[in-house]
Amino acid sequence: MGDVVLQGFFVGGLYALIALGFAMIFKASEVLNLAYGQQILILSYFLHWLLVTEGLPTWASVLIVFIFGALIGFVLERVFIRPLLGQPFLSILMMTLMLGFLFKGITVLWRGGKSYSLPFTPSGMWEIGGVQILPAAAIAFFAAIFVFVCMLFLFQYTKVGLAMRVVATDHLVSQSLGIRVKRIFSLSWVISGMFAGVCAILVGMVWMITPEMGDIALGKGLPVLLLGGMDSIPGALVGGLIIGVVESLGGYWGGEVREIVPWLVMLVILLFRPWGMFGTRRIERI
Amino acid sequence: MGLPCGVFNSRPEEDMAILRTKTQYLLVAIGFAFFFTMALYLPLDWLAWLIMLGMYAIAVLGIHILTGLCGQFSMGHAAFMLVGAYTAATLGGNVGVSPWLTLPLAGVTAGIAGLAFGVPALRIKGFYLVMSTIAAQFVIQWVAREADWTWLPDWMKTGGVYGIDVPKLVLGGKAVGDVGFWWITMGILVVMLVVAKNIQRTATGRKFIAIRDNDLAAEVMGINLFRTKLLAFFIGCFFAGIAGWVWAHYMGHITPDQFGFDKSLIFLGMIIVGGMGSTAGAVMGTVIIRICEKLIDYISASLGSAFPDISVQIFPALSLIIFALVVMIFIMFEPRGAYHRWVRIRTYYRLHPFSY
Repeated sequence: MGDVVLQGFFVGGLYALIALGFAMIFKASEVLNLAYGQQILILSYFLHWLLVTEGLPTWASVLIVFIFGALIGFVLERVFIRPLLGQPFLSILMMTLMLGFLFKGITVLWRGGKSYSLPFTPSGMWEIGGVQILPAAAIAFFAAIFVFVCMLFLFQYTKVGLAMRVVATDHLVSQSLGIRVKRIFSLSWVISGMFAGVCAILVGMVWMITPEMGDIALGKGLPVLLLGGMDSIPGALVGGLIIGVVESLGGYWGGEVREIVPWLVMLVILLFRPWGMFGTRRIERI
Repeated sequence: MGLPCGVFNSRPEEDMAILRTKTQYLLVAIGFAFFFTMALYLPLDWLAWLIMLGMYAIAVLGIHILTGLCGQFSMGHAAFMLVGAYTAATLGGNVGVSPWLTLPLAGVTAGIAGLAFGVPALRIKGFYLVMSTIAAQFVIQWVAREADWTWLPDWMKTGGVYGIDVPKLVLGGKAVGDVGFWWITMGILVVMLVVAKNIQRTATGRKFIAIRDNDLAAEVMGINLFRTKLLAFFIGCFFAGIAGWVWAHYMGHITPDQFGFDKSLIFLGMIIVGGMGSTAGAVMGTVIIRICEKLIDYISASLGSAFPDISVQIFPALSLIIFALVVMIFIMFEPRGAYHRWVRIRTYYRLHPFSY
């Protein structure tokens, strides 16, 4: 029981990271980037290719994956999403979904739908406080905490972070204050793309790298996002941990229920508190 | 809509007619004859393609009502199709109800499932509704995959991952072949088209459109938001259920994985390509995407022989890439859909030398 909860807690850190990538973009530009799961997918395969086929050292490939992730984020925003600003929201949503299809297709074409595991995945179990846990999950958890602290620092103590908070509050006001809103959009996509790089490493360690990985990541990230609140950074962390724990408890008691526990939590949240735990209570978009 | 020169509506019946002029009657009659006889001389794989086209069109008509008219998004349409298909399979196979009776029942059960997930629609919009329907997709699929528990009565068992057999359609004492099945599909499709068209142009459809355009204003005008939105969900999912029935009886064996999230997205892609808000657009989008899928078959066959070392993955990868590209091109360059473009071309040529 104890190790189930702790295990879920640690995996929840990973879910939080996935949700952070959505929340970053949604906070700035109110775009729900459903391509995010497939961004993680393509970056994982890329990382595996760099490490195994090209034989680069670990630090170099991780660095390249971060840069590549940021680049993907930038290109997505600049080429595909920015021309659609002001279009009905279904168009933008479908656009991101189709970008996801495109990424998945390219990955399958390139790597042939094989599944891999990352070479530096630590094997065995770690023992923390008398409880057995997966090392990858623990790493994911601490990475999530680290990223969260970085984000907190960025938002609270830097000028860019301040600008991002202003943009999240009101586009028009921030524009008239001399903040370049489009640049902030771009920046949020770049940061989110780098998160996708982090997730690519961690997801590849916790699960296998498979073609379905992107969909799985999406399926874990969306409920977390909604539970925490769509535009809330701390919400993503708390939501991730909660969903992680609830999910592994569901698996512990209900066996197969595990798969849909996040979705059930999400449906309940939708019925009673659609704006989530920490989100802004603004759900009308007329 | 422009009528031909010299044709004026002078009586209410003329104004209401779907087919107004003799030319239209003639065209529709020729079209019927063409599609009816097509089954007799088409090769088998094209016939299968045509049947799939018909059932996809039925499902997309449901999305047309739900999303195109009422503005409620459904990203779980394949799951509602699953409900219809499993209704046909469990009632028809395990209980032994006649397939013709399960046809409306499949629609109704899918509609009720739609209601269950549409209830949040009163309070939530946009992203939140998308989330709710994605949840519907995964929850329903999961239930179909796992509902093999021992405490369930026998007739409700779904066979889990391995799926369930669907009884063959029997008409007049003998099993229906592929040709007969196309006629049945076509018949259902035509009925559903007329139903969708009529929903669109009667009070219900106008209520839907009012809600789509501005639900606050619609409520002020006296439209019961809750009832109307739920009605839209019911009708949209009813269509999906009917499509599921056709799918189940055509395939003969259904598994939960046939109704994945991908399929829901393909339906949405079809309505975007065709254009929101018109039945013709829904059908047109279906046809375009299906033609693309047929093209992918040929392209990937020839590419597979050209690059033998990646021939295994070329088909799944290409079907994703080409579908994504087509929908993306439409979103970027023709966001109102192919039907809108067609109307513009038609209007241009009707007035050809005098474009004003």
